[in-house]
Amino acid sequence: MHTVYGMTALLETTNLTVSFGDRAGWFRPAREVLAVRSVSLALQAGEVLAVVGESGSGKTTLARALLGLVPIAAGEVRYDGCDTATMTAPQALAMRRSVQMVFQDPFGSLDPRLPVGAIIAEPLDIHRIGNPASRRARVAELMGLVGLPADAAGRYPHQFSGGQRQRIAFARALAPSPRVIIADEPLSALDVSIQSQMLNMAAELRARLGLAYLIISHDLAAVHHIADRVATMYLGRIVEVSDVDALFTRPAHPYTAALLAAVPRIGAGKWVPGAALGGDIPSPLAPPTGCAFHPRCPAASSLCATATPDMRAIRAGHDVACHHPLGTA
Amino acid sequence: MTEAAVSVWQLRWRRLARDRVALGALSVLVLLYVLCFSAAWIELWLDVTGVDTDLMSRFDPIDARHWLGSDEAGRDEFTRILRGGQISLSIGLFAALGSSFVGTVIGAMAGYFRGRVDMVLMRFTDFMLAMPALPVLIILAAIDLTKLGFSQDFVRSGAAGYWRIVLIVTLLGWTTVARLVRAATLSLVEREFVLAARAQGASSLRILWVHVLPNAVTPIIVATTLRMGGVILTESALSFLGVGIQPPSTSWGSMLTNAQELMASNPLLAVYPGAAILLAVIAINFVGDGLQSAFDPRADPH
Amino acid sequence: MGRFLLGRITGAGIVLLLKSFVIFALIGLMPGDPLDLMMNANPETTPEQMAHLRAMYGVDLPITQRYWTWLVAALQGDFGYSRIQHRPVLDIIIPALGNTLILTGAAFVLSTTLAVTLGTIAALKRGTWIDRIINLFAFAGISVPSFWLGLLMIYLFAVRLGWLPAGGMPRPEQGYGGMLAHLAMPVMTLVIVETGGLARYARAAMIEVLSQDYIRTARAKGLTDRRMLVRHALRNALIPVLTLVALQLGGLFSGAALTEAMFAWRGMGRLILEAILGNDYNLALVCLMFVTATILIANICADIAYTWLDPRISLGKRRR
Ligand SMILES: Nc1ncnc2c1ncn2[C@@H]1O[C@H](COP(=O)(O)OP(=O)(O)O)[C@@H](O)[C@H]1O
Ligand code: SF4
Ligand SMILES: [Mg+2]
Repeated sequence: MHTVYGMTALLETTNLTVSFGDRAGWFRPAREVLAVRSVSLALQAGEVLAVVGESGSGKTTLARALLGLVPIAAGEVRYDGCDTATMTAPQALAMRRSVQMVFQDPFGSLDPRLPVGAIIAEPLDIHRIGNPASRRARVAELMGLVGLPADAAGRYPHQFSGGQRQRIAFARALAPSPRVIIADEPLSALDVSIQSQMLNMAAELRARLGLAYLIISHDLAAVHHIADRVATMYLGRIVEVSDVDALFTRPAHPYTAALLAAVPRIGAGKWVPGAALGGDIPSPLAPPTGCAFHPRCPAASSLCATATPDMRAIRAGHDVACHHPLGTA
Repeated sequence: MTEAAVSVWQLRWRRLARDRVALGALSVLVLLYVLCFSAAWIELWLDVTGVDTDLMSRFDPIDARHWLGSDEAGRDEFTRILRGGQISLSIGLFAALGSSFVGTVIGAMAGYFRGRVDMVLMRFTDFMLAMPALPVLIILAAIDLTKLGFSQDFVRSGAAGYWRIVLIVTLLGWTTVARLVRAATLSLVEREFVLAARAQGASSLRILWVHVLPNAVTPIIVATTLRMGGVILTESALSFLGVGIQPPSTSWGSMLTNAQELMASNPLLAVYPGAAILLAVIAINFVGDGLQSAFDPRADPH
Repeated sequence: MGRFLLGRITGAGIVLLLKSFVIFALIGLMPGDPLDLMMNANPETTPEQMAHLRAMYGVDLPITQRYWTWLVAALQGDFGYSRIQHRPVLDIIIPALGNTLILTGAAFVLSTTLAVTLGTIAALKRGTWIDRIINLFAFAGISVPSFWLGLLMIYLFAVRLGWLPAGGMPRPEQGYGGMLAHLAMPVMTLVIVETGGLARYARAAMIEVLSQDYIRTARAKGLTDRRMLVRHALRNALIPVLTLVALQLGGLFSGAALTEAMFAWRGMGRLILEAILGNDYNLALVCLMFVTATILIANICADIAYTWLDPRISLGKRRR
């Protein structure tokens, strides 16, 4: 039911690469950070795909590249089968309408100078959906949908709590009736009690509106209940993609396993290679050779230090980029 | 929640209203503007004139009609001050608004488009900043407009003299606002709410107009206010040197040129216009200072 | 560092060149041209003589060509003659520079000292009536037209009281006393006008430093030696103040123009005003170029001072 081969994915990347660079200065050479390296990933209509990984692994950059908010160095992004690089302006606008984003920071993503009603109505304004009266009605409807009080429209973002602000951001994303919502760590700034409320709301809206989600998180536990599939990201690369159940019960990549081990509720009592993750994520300015994970990997061999592993399927719907995937040898 | 249910502007206004100095200065300023622009009615009421000469009543002393006496040409000094204020105060307003407009456009473009645009615009700003201001203003004020193809009649008209001053003071005064707006824009375009708008496909114009400028409005307002004071001082200096407002028009600065010659015999005639300038500019500066602290984000409850 | 300086100096040189052209063009737009003025001075000039003069002075050539001629001469050290004073421009400028340095130098030292003192007192006594009075004086200084202040002083000290000369330069035989008497009013004017803004700036810098953690800790620990505390804070507060001061040095030669004119002090500022208002084009042009060059040099110095005093900022990245 998940990855249906041969069918066009809703949103898809092939070998997507994003690089941040600056020119050489007087005292140092030019630097280049490959924040996203050759990522191929597909999101099907109606599914929930989670991308997990430590902070700095390139998740935010990947999400922004999907929306064309950062320049793409190589590879492509396709929406409904169309390459975004060659889209016509109306096609691009239609995509921007259908693919909505919820940002990580509920304090930074809402314009402090605009009343909440105007913030939620902004996509309707930009895409010229409806007239002023219908927009007002739509805003009221959306506020009800995400559980905001009816008088919220006339107030300003600073008058709301973090959870309510994220509801505002969610309402804005829902406004133009999108098909996909990309949410970049939508819960990480919220209290745990509010996180579960928000998750329930997101799950309910997904069922009602037939939405697809791309949820980004550094916390596996947070996405466990809502995701259909999970992609693990490390230093700019996707290293494992799998159904959520397979991933949680039989992680094949040592990095995924380590992430799981760090989650008490899930990892406890199961077999985990080594302990939880030691050390820090290396600098993306000077990534390790071969498999970028090898300096921290308990299963690393000499091969791992020289050869970069390719992504390959170890079973249907379970791909991994590792020379020595767990549970196979 | 009731306390929080007010807009940013209401909060700011409350803070300003608690600042007695700023509020006092604002009242003085408003009163000055109202008085100056009611000069014609005040003349009718007092039965005096600040415009026409009356050689029978030169140097009249202070009395019920001539609140500040009369000048060397028999014009009523009080209403003449008001008439001079019409010019000085309105030039202050227009040139400050003009400078802010130019500075905002240039600063916003530099900060938004960055790269080459930014570099060219900022070099241009540096270029303007390194001008010795007063001498260049004098040259600009003295330029013979007929050499630029304007007609004699136009060049001699009062309106041309007035707008010329507004224009040149605007041209040399926008750099501060440009730098402030550029700095604000550079940091605003990195904020996520701007990214959110870009993700929607908002145009550059919309982003600048809806998201960037309203968030940069605080430094713009403060700088515009303070600039008004600077403009009034500049205009008075130019007029005092004889290259600003020309007779028969009059401004506080040009009144001082005449009064200077009569200093020994009628020193008070030199006191009034200068005191008017000082009063207006100090009031403006106190208002600007009050706005600055009332708008200070560090005072905002988050 | 070396490359940074080289870059800045090249940039400043380009700005100076551009500016000389702009000022040259603007001055060309001022009323009358040199020949009209000559003709007015000598009504007997025949049309033939006129034509000869026009050709000689190149008045009818396009502006770019006239500028080029001027520039080539100037680069060879020939800055031309003053129309009114009939002397080489440099002979006029050099004594004026000396006079301006005396006046603005004195005012500068006094106003900086006064501003730092007042600013520090206001910061330490924040919120008290002392703070408010200093603030009021600062605002008055910022808001007063300097020429009006000069007028009032002349009336009071020269006309009414007769204590000081109304203006002009001291004669050599008057000695130091004469110098002081002539300097008193213009220096006072400049100090009043310049101290206000700087004092408010110093106050803000001092408050900023005083609120920093280590000072608060020192205070909380009962560091009651006020003198030491103030000295410590002052050193840090001086960084931004000195940068502003360095920037203001750019106005050293032209900033006092109105005051010099009011008190007939034979300095650069007054020379510039006279040259412009008296259509002495060449003199005005050279003076303005000189003043612009000083501003540009002062800006570079301010950048260096800032970097040198504050190690957190690295050269090459311009402050925003
Ligand atoms: N605008 C940028 N300029 C330069 N480097 C960037 C920029 N944005 C992100 N990076 C770098 O790219 C890498 C990935 O960052 P990010 O996508 O934010 O990771 P994540 O969201 O997984 O924490 C980091 O090393 C980060 O420093
Ligand atoms: S390829 Fe080698 S180093 Fe990389 S994850 Fe697999 S085993 Fe570890
Ligand atoms: Mg991130």
